[in-house]
Parts: sequence; C-alpha cells; structure tokens
Amino acid sequence: MRERRTAREEERQQRGDDETSGPESRGSLLDAIRGVKWPALRPVAGALPGAHHSRLRGAAPELSEYRVYRQGDDPKRIDWRLLARSDRAYIRLAEDRSTVSTLLIVDATASMAFPQRSLGKWRAASDVAVGLAAVAHTSRDPVGLVIVSGDGMRQLPPRTRRGIVGEIARALDDVAPHGSLPLAPAMRGIRSRIRVAIVSDFLGDADDVRRRAGEVSAAGGEVHAIHIVADEELDPPARSVLAVDPEDASLARPLVAESRAAYLERFAAWRTELAASWRAEGLSYTVARVSEPASRVVRHVAGAALGTGRVVTPDVRREIR
Amino acid sequence: MSVAAPLFAWVGGGLAIGVVALHLLAWRRPPASLLPTARFAPDAPVRTVSPAVKPTDLALLAVRVLVIALVSAALAGPTFSSRVQGLGRVIVVDRSHGPEAWAPIDRVARSVYRSGDALVLFDSAAHEVRNPTVDSIVATSPTSESQGMSAALVVAMRAANELQRRRDSVEIVVVSPFGSDALDAATASIRRVWSGTVRTVRAGTPPNDTTRARRLDIRAGAGDPVSAALALAGAAPAGAVRVVRDSTRAADTAWARQGGAIVVWPTGAAHQGWQARAAADTAFGVTVTSSVAPSRTSPARSATVVARFVRRVTPPPGRVVARWDDGEPAATEIPLGAGCLRSVTVSVPSTGDLALTPAFRHFAEQLAGPCTGADGWVAASDSVVSAVLPAAGVRDAAGTISAADTTRSDSTIAAWLLGAAMAAAVVELLVRRGAANATA
Repeated sequence: MRERRTAREEERQQRGDDETSGPESRGSLLDAIRGVKWPALRPVAGALPGAHHSRLRGAAPELSEYRVYRQGDDPKRIDWRLLARSDRAYIRLAEDRSTVSTLLIVDATASMAFPQRSLGKWRAASDVAVGLAAVAHTSRDPVGLVIVSGDGMRQLPPRTRRGIVGEIARALDDVAPHGSLPLAPAMRGIRSRIRVAIVSDFLGDADDVRRRAGEVSAAGGEVHAIHIVADEELDPPARSVLAVDPEDASLARPLVAESRAAYLERFAAWRTELAASWRAEGLSYTVARVSEPASRVVRHVAGAALGTGRVVTPDVRREIR
Repeated sequence: MSVAAPLFAWVGGGLAIGVVALHLLAWRRPPASLLPTARFAPDAPVRTVSPAVKPTDLALLAVRVLVIALVSAALAGPTFSSRVQGLGRVIVVDRSHGPEAWAPIDRVARSVYRSGDALVLFDSAAHEVRNPTVDSIVATSPTSESQGMSAALVVAMRAANELQRRRDSVEIVVVSPFGSDALDAATASIRRVWSGTVRTVRAGTPPNDTTRARRLDIRAGAGDPVSAALALAGAAPAGAVRVVRDSTRAADTAWARQGGAIVVWPTGAAHQGWQARAAADTAFGVTVTSSVAPSRTSPARSATVVARFVRRVTPPPGRVVARWDDGEPAATEIPLGAGCLRSVTVSVPSTGDLALTPAFRHFAEQLAGPCTGADGWVAASDSVVSAVLPAAGVRDAAGTISAADTTRSDSTIAAWLLGAAMAAAVVELLVRRGAANATA
C-alpha cells in the first residue's frame, strides 16, 4: 500500500511537472474558463433556485407575464396596483431559474493511459472533467463524479458545497487508469432530468453507452459526450510496431508502412460513424484532442448548450467530417 | 588435405555468406507497442521483414551453413593423405623365364623386398599383389610365358602413383633376368612417362655383354667367310651354338646332346654322310624359310641371299630350315639329344665380298641360331637395359600419370560428406519447423 501510494505520489509529481511545463496547467484552465456558462439544453424542473430556466413559473422578481386570477391562486400573488388601475384581478407570473445536477463520468480504463509516458489522454480527460465541474459549480449546480477504472467505479455524489471541484480534482489525480470495465453500468442509476458528461475514448462499450445515453436523454436528461483522442492515435509513429491493445493483450496487430493507410482510414471511419450515431440520438458530441487546450474543449461543450458560442476549430471540423 | 575442385569450395563459401545475409533480413516480430486503437490495424501476420545487426535464428543459421559447407566440401573432393617419411618402392618381379631361372630371381626379390613395398608380378600377365608380404613372391608358380616388360611397367607405375600419396618419393625396382624378349619398343616410351627412379636388379643371368661371343663357338680356319659374316653380325643374339666349318667330332656331338646346336657348315660344302647330287648345278638364291629357332627368343624372320651358288650335295633328311630358290632344301636340322645337328650345304666362296653383304650376314646369323623348339632365352646386355630402363626419369614428363591420379577425389570421403549433409538437411527441417512454431 505504501509502495502504491509512493508510486502515485511520484506519478502525481511527474504529472505536476508536466502541468507546469505543459500547454495549460490546472490553474490556467480555471482562469481560462472563468465566466463561462453551461446552461442546460432545455428547461429544468428543479426546485432549488439556480441559473437555468425552470419549467415552473413562480414569484421570481423577474416578471414574465400576467394572468387572470383564478380561484385557487394565491391571493398574495395578485398585483394590487394593476387591480386598482384596471379593476381586474391579475397575478404576476415570473420564470423561475433552477439548478440542474451534473454528473461527470470519466473513463479511467487502460486505454486512457496513453501515451504511456505522458498519459496524455488521461490528463486531457481529467482537465476537461475539472473544467466542466468548475463551470457547473459556478452556476451553483450540484456536481458529481463517477470514475470507471479496472478496480470498479468510484463515485462522488452531486454536491453544491464549496470545495467540490477540488474534491473532484483530487479524486481524479488519485486515479491511475488501468484495467478494463464497461462504462454503461455507470449510467444505470442515473435519475432523469440530470446532466451527464461522459469523458472517454469510447473504445470500450461505445454502443451500450450511446444507447443508455439515449434513454437518459429521452427521460428528460442531458448527455454530453467528450471523445478524447490522442495525437499518437491519429498519427501513429512511422516505425513498424506490433500494436497491442492495452485492455486486451491478445489483440496484437502489426502496424507497418503497408498497413498504416488502412489503419488511418478505418479509424477515421469509426470516428465519423461514432459522431454521427451520437448526434442522431440528439446528443452532444465533442472531440477533444490531447494537444487541444482543455479550456477550449470546455467552451465547446458549454457552447453546444448555448447553440451559438461553439468555436469550431479546423481540427474539430475535420473530425466532424 | 587437398581438394580436387576448389571452385565448389568457393561457391559454397559464397552461398554461406548469402545465407548469413538472409538471416540478417529475416522475418522478425516487430517490437510491441501499446496502442488503444490497435483494433483498427488490419489483421495480418504479426511478422515483418527488417534488417538487423545480429543474425536471427542462430541455430537454424548454423545448420544451414553446415549443410552448405558439407555439400560444397563433398563436391570439392577433399583428399586426406597421411604421408610417411621415407622412400616407397614398387618391386617388379619377372616370373616369365620358367622354373629353371626362378630360383635366383626369387632369392634376389626376397632380398630386395621390404615391408611396405608394393609388389608387381608379371609373366603372362602383370598384376599388383594386394597387401603383399615377402611370401607373396612365391604365391604362384612361375610360367614360361611373358607379356613383356611394358605391361609390367604400366602396372608398376600405377602402383607407384598410389604409393606416392603416402610416401615422399617412390622408386620402381625391377628384378628380372632382362631377357631380350622382355624388352620391346614400347618399354622405353613407357619408362619415360614415369618421372621417378627405376632401379634394375638383374637376377638369374650374368650381367655382361659377352654372352653371345662366349656362347657362339666357331671352329674355322683363318679367313673363313662365314666366321667373318657372323662376326660382323654384331649384337645379334645367339644361343649355345657351335659352328663347325670342318668335320664334326665326338666332342661336338656330346656337346650337342647337352643342349647345344651344332651347325655343320663345311667349307667345301661336302660332309661325311651327305648325299652328293647327281650333277652339280647352280642356284641363284637361298632363303632361310623360317627362323632356325622360331621360339620367343628368336622371332621368326626370313633371310634371303641372292647370289650364284654351286650345289654339289644334298643335306641329310631332317627339318628343312633353308631352301634354294627352286625349293630344294639347302639346310636341314635333326635333333640330337637335348640339342640338334644342323647341316648347311651352302657353299660360300672364299673370294669375293658375298660374306660381307648384310643379306648374307643376316642369313648366317639366322642359321647360327639355337635349336628349333628350344625354349631358351637370351639376356639383354646391360647397355641395352640401361638404355631402355634408365635409372633417372625424364623431368619434363614428370608426373603425367601421377598428376592425373593425385587429382582424383576420394569418393569415400565425398560420400560421407554427402551423407552428413543429408542428415544436416533433415535437422534443418526440424529446427525450421520448431522456429516457425515459436514465432507463430
């Protein structure tokens, strides 16, 4: 146990070194996404006041419309001044704003520990998750976390308390991606009308995850897929290697000059099909390359909710195609 | 060790280098590298060609190089010779002069023979004795027929070439009485082919040049033309012959009974007991129809003298050895004990040069031969033997047979090498199969 902790500390130390020397450290990320809003895609039905449009109309200070008083309405909501001027009883209606629980599901299986030396995919997934948690927490939304790794699932229930973002960051930093476990079971207990962000490379049970995400969306929830792709996967080294799947050692195939073109073609076709299938379900799908700053990815995801603020980079445009 | 065809060795070396080069480019399993998207790579055999500094499959490489080396060595024809220091000898023993002459030859041959020498015996045929010992010399009884020294020399040179593989130098030792019949025109030519030493050891006959003179006895008066003719005949071989130009005596008859040939050739062409012709006439030629002694010691030759001869007597009955030109007998021969008595009725004029002509000399020589049917032989002179069989070989012709024989590959070694190559090929198959299973 001590050895494992020591190894993790060394890994964290190395990761910290990488953060300081990398394109965007955790602090820079939080600074970069300051002020970014992540509104819900549709009106929420939460009771607690928040930043998202609520399906309920109540006595909020912001007037929405007047409605003729009907029997049973609360007399306190009658606009007395309007009654005095028009001799008709109206009640004030205002759009309520509520919170929406946000659950971040982060894939921490062995395929995310790539490249082996820098763990770029896992770093990118962690940063994106922390960024989305921070953005959600800014809107006073409860934020929770589910980490799926070879050891099982580690969960942090959605909370609005201060420090939840730090807890999420520490939980992610404490995990070393390894093993193999499907993601779909992590979405089984999700109640409806929740916002889910899945950060993964979708090299596992991608179809099951998409199917479950469609169910959540149909139940009134909101699902965002953030697809983490390493540059080494998009452009493997030119030297001949025997490519071994980290989650299935029996899957070993030569990646040589003759098979390189076929690999690139098949991988691109799979990504295109994956994006099309998610969008066909009405779900949000975003490709995040490891070399891309996490803040930009967070803005992409949040912009997808707004429908206007999404910045489409050439890389992303190429990926979508 | 020497090789008969070095080209195959060079070719084998080149092939071995090629095999090593191929092993540097062998199919190898590429280095493993984790790639989460490995599933998108085409499913192909997990081997690829790549150069390497260190040859792969060292066991397989070693077996393959061994196969190539064995095959090339077998084709190159290696010859292993364990040379023994010293002189090797081929003893050639002449057994063709009958049992009478065999004892001294056997004695001399035994004294000459040493262990390790090759032994060639010849009489009617020449053959090399395999694994000879000193007793091999008398393994069979000698005969009186001979094929000549030439055939024996050919066999001896072949044995000498075999012996030369194991010895520094080889000489041929010929133990023989050196009868003149054993030496022929081919003997000297065959001798020149052999570059080594040929040592002649005479046995069973005195080594001198005076044999004929001592054995040919002429009793005639001074200035006798027949004596002059026989004297001019020179080195013509002669047996135990006595030419009598006067009347025969009892001692002559006794001598003839012991095996000699008495040639009664009276000066006046008349002798006691001979029948006179009814009338003397003249003949203009006389011919020795066949050799007086048509044995192997004196090959059949005819000699004719064309001249005017006066015929007064007729020779006594007997085997006709010379005839006049009209077919009447001019000389006859009758056996006498172990010898014979030859009567010659050819009168030779004491004047004139008829006796000095080559035809008459030859005629007289034929008539002065040994008895008809005698199986004697005449030893060749030392000068003839040394001329035909010189001790030193001709340097320019050195090793014409030897060189051809020494380049002969050793088929036994080649067969073993080929067998080993086949075994190694089977091992290569097994090793290759094992390597394929290991990499699969």
